Amino acid sequence: MKRAEHLRNLAFLGACAVALALLPHGLSLYLRSFVLFTMMYVVLALAWNIISGFTGYTSFGHVAFYGIGAYACAILVTDYGWHWIATLGAGAAVAAVVGVAIGYPVLRLKGPYFAIAMLGAAEGTRVVATVWDSLTHGGLGISMPSAETSMETYYAMLVLMVLTIVVAYWIGHSRFGVRLNAIREDEVAAEALGVNATLYKLVAFVLSAVFPAVAGGIQAYKVLYIDPPSVFFVQITIAMALMSMLGGKGTVIGPIVGAVLLYTTQELTWVNFPTAHLIAYGLFIVLVARFMPRGLMGLAIDQGWVRKGMVH
Amino acid sequence: MERSEVRSLYLLAAFLVCAYALPFFVGFFTGNVRVDEQWLAYLVAVILGGVMQGGIYAMFAVGLTLIFGVMRIINAAHGEMVMMGAYFTWVAFFYLGVDPLLALVLTLPLAFVFGVAVQKLLLNAAVGAPELTGLLITFGLGLVMIHTAEWMFTTDFRTIPYAPGTVQITSTITVGQNRVISFAMAVVISVTVYLFLKLSRLGKAVRATALNAEVAMVCGINVRRVYLITTGLAAALAAAGGALVSIQFGFNPETGIVYTLQAFAIIILGGRGHYVGALIGAVMLAVLENLVSLMVPNGTAMVELAAYGMMIFVLLIRPGGLMGVKDA
Repeated sequence: MKRAEHLRNLAFLGACAVALALLPHGLSLYLRSFVLFTMMYVVLALAWNIISGFTGYTSFGHVAFYGIGAYACAILVTDYGWHWIATLGAGAAVAAVVGVAIGYPVLRLKGPYFAIAMLGAAEGTRVVATVWDSLTHGGLGISMPSAETSMETYYAMLVLMVLTIVVAYWIGHSRFGVRLNAIREDEVAAEALGVNATLYKLVAFVLSAVFPAVAGGIQAYKVLYIDPPSVFFVQITIAMALMSMLGGKGTVIGPIVGAVLLYTTQELTWVNFPTAHLIAYGLFIVLVARFMPRGLMGLAIDQGWVRKGMVH
Repeated sequence: MERSEVRSLYLLAAFLVCAYALPFFVGFFTGNVRVDEQWLAYLVAVILGGVMQGGIYAMFAVGLTLIFGVMRIINAAHGEMVMMGAYFTWVAFFYLGVDPLLALVLTLPLAFVFGVAVQKLLLNAAVGAPELTGLLITFGLGLVMIHTAEWMFTTDFRTIPYAPGTVQITSTITVGQNRVISFAMAVVISVTVYLFLKLSRLGKAVRATALNAEVAMVCGINVRRVYLITTGLAAALAAAGGALVSIQFGFNPETGIVYTLQAFAIIILGGRGHYVGALIGAVMLAVLENLVSLMVPNGTAMVELAAYGMMIFVLLIRPGGLMGVKDA
C-alpha cells in the first residue's frame, strides 16, 4: 500500500480518537460507560484476532489474560496501595509471562487441540484464582476503594484502544503480519521458506495476551468489584471470537466493526428484552457461525464493495 | 511402534503415576491420610465409587468422541445435551410418574431425533470448516439450550430421589444402590453401542467414515447419513448420561459446561475418536477426581483442576492419548 494511503488511514484514526476524546463531556454516565465498554470490546476482539485471525490459532481461552489483568489491578490497588495506572503495566507484564508459559508448550498443538487446551487453561486459571485465597481473596472477590473514575478509565481505555488499533494495523501491513499469515495458511511451507514459526507464533500470542490484560485492569478499576466467575467468564472469550468473526477475522477493520455492532446490539436487546436476550444471543452466535463464517468483510469482498487489499 | 511412540507412552504412564500419587502426598502432608483399617476401607469405597462414577462419565465421553472422530467437530454443547437428558428424565418422573430407567425408552429416541436435527440444520455446514465454525455453532446452541431450560425450569437444583438404599460389599465397604444401578446401566449401554459399532453394517460405516471420509464415500457409504446417525447416537448417549446423572446428583441448567470439559479431558486422555479409550479414560478421570476430593483440601474446586490439568498435560506429552491415535 502507498505511503499516502497509510497517512490517510492514520489521519482517520486520529480524527476518530479526537472525536471520542471530546465525546464524554456531553454524555450521561450510562452512555459514557457504554462507549467505554464498546472500546474495551474493540480491544479484546482485535487482540484475539492477532493470534486467531492473523496466525490461525483459534484461542478459546483468551479470557484468562483479561482476568489476570483484572486481578493484577485489583490486588495491587487494594492490598499494596499502588496507583491504578501503574497496575496496568504490572498486569501486562504478568500476562506476558503467563502468555509465554502457556504459549510455549500449547502453541505446539494445532487446530481443535489448541482450542481445547486454551479452554482448559482459562478454566484452570479461574480455579487457581478461586483457590489461592491468600493472594486473590478467593471466591469472595475483591472490592476496591471507591473513587469517581469514569473519566480516568474512559481516557485510559481510549488510549489503549488507539494503541491496539495501531499495533493491529502495523501487523496487518508489515512483514511480521505476512509471516503470521504464512503460518496460518501452511505452517510447514512457511518454515521451509525460513520463517521461524515457533518464535513468531509466540510473539503473536504474547502480543494478543497483553492488550486484554490491560483492558481487564481498566475494567476492574471502572467496576470496582471483581470475582473469579465474572472476570474469567467463558462468554468473554466467545464474544472476542464472535466479534472478530462477525466483522471478518484476519483483517484489521473487521474486529472493530464486529465489536461495535455486536456490543451495541447486545446492549439494546439486553435493555429491551431482559429475559429473552440470552436465548437470542445464542441464536445469533449460531446464525453468524452457520451462515457468515467469513464475516461482513468477507461479504463485502465477495460483493465487490471493497477491494481485497483495503480491508487489511 | 516407533521409538518416539514408545517413549511418549512411558512418559504418559509416568505422568499418570505422578497424577495419582499427588493427592496422596497432599493428603499426607495436610493430615487427611490416616493409615488404619477404617480409613483404608473408606479409601477402597471411594475408589469403587470413582469407578462407578466413571460409568456415567463414559456416557458423556463416548458421544463426544464419536462426533469428534467422525467429523472433527468439537461439540461444545455436549454438556447441555446431558443436561437436557437429565431434565427429560426429571419431567418424566415428576409429571408423568415414569420410572427414571424406564423413561430411557422415551427419552433416548427423543434425544436421537434432536441430534439428527442439529446435524441436519447446523453441523453439516461445519464439517471440514475451520474449527472455530463448529465451536461457535455448538457453543451458541448450548447457550440457547441453557437459557431455554432456565426459562422453563428456573435455575433451582433438581434431583430425583431413586433407590436410596446401600449395597453391602464387605463388612466395612458400602456403595449407594443408585450408583450400582447406574453403573450397571452404563455398562449395558456402552457394551451395546460397542457391539453396534463393531458388528452391524451401519456401525462399520461409522467407523469407516471416521477413518477416512473420502475413501468411505468412494466405497459407497452414504457419508451424510453416517453423520446424521453419529450425532443422533451421540445425543442419545448424552441423554442417557443425563438420566444417570439425574438419579445421583443435583443438576441445574448451568451444570452442562462442567460435563463438557470433563468429557474433553476424557477423550484427550483416552485418545480422541477412540471408543474404548473413552471408556478407560472416563473411569481413570473419575477415580482421580474422587481421590482428589477425598484427600486434597478445597476439594470441590481442585477436582475441576484435576480434569483441566490432566487434559493439558496429556495433550503436551502424548496428543494421541493412551491409545496413541494418529492425526487423520
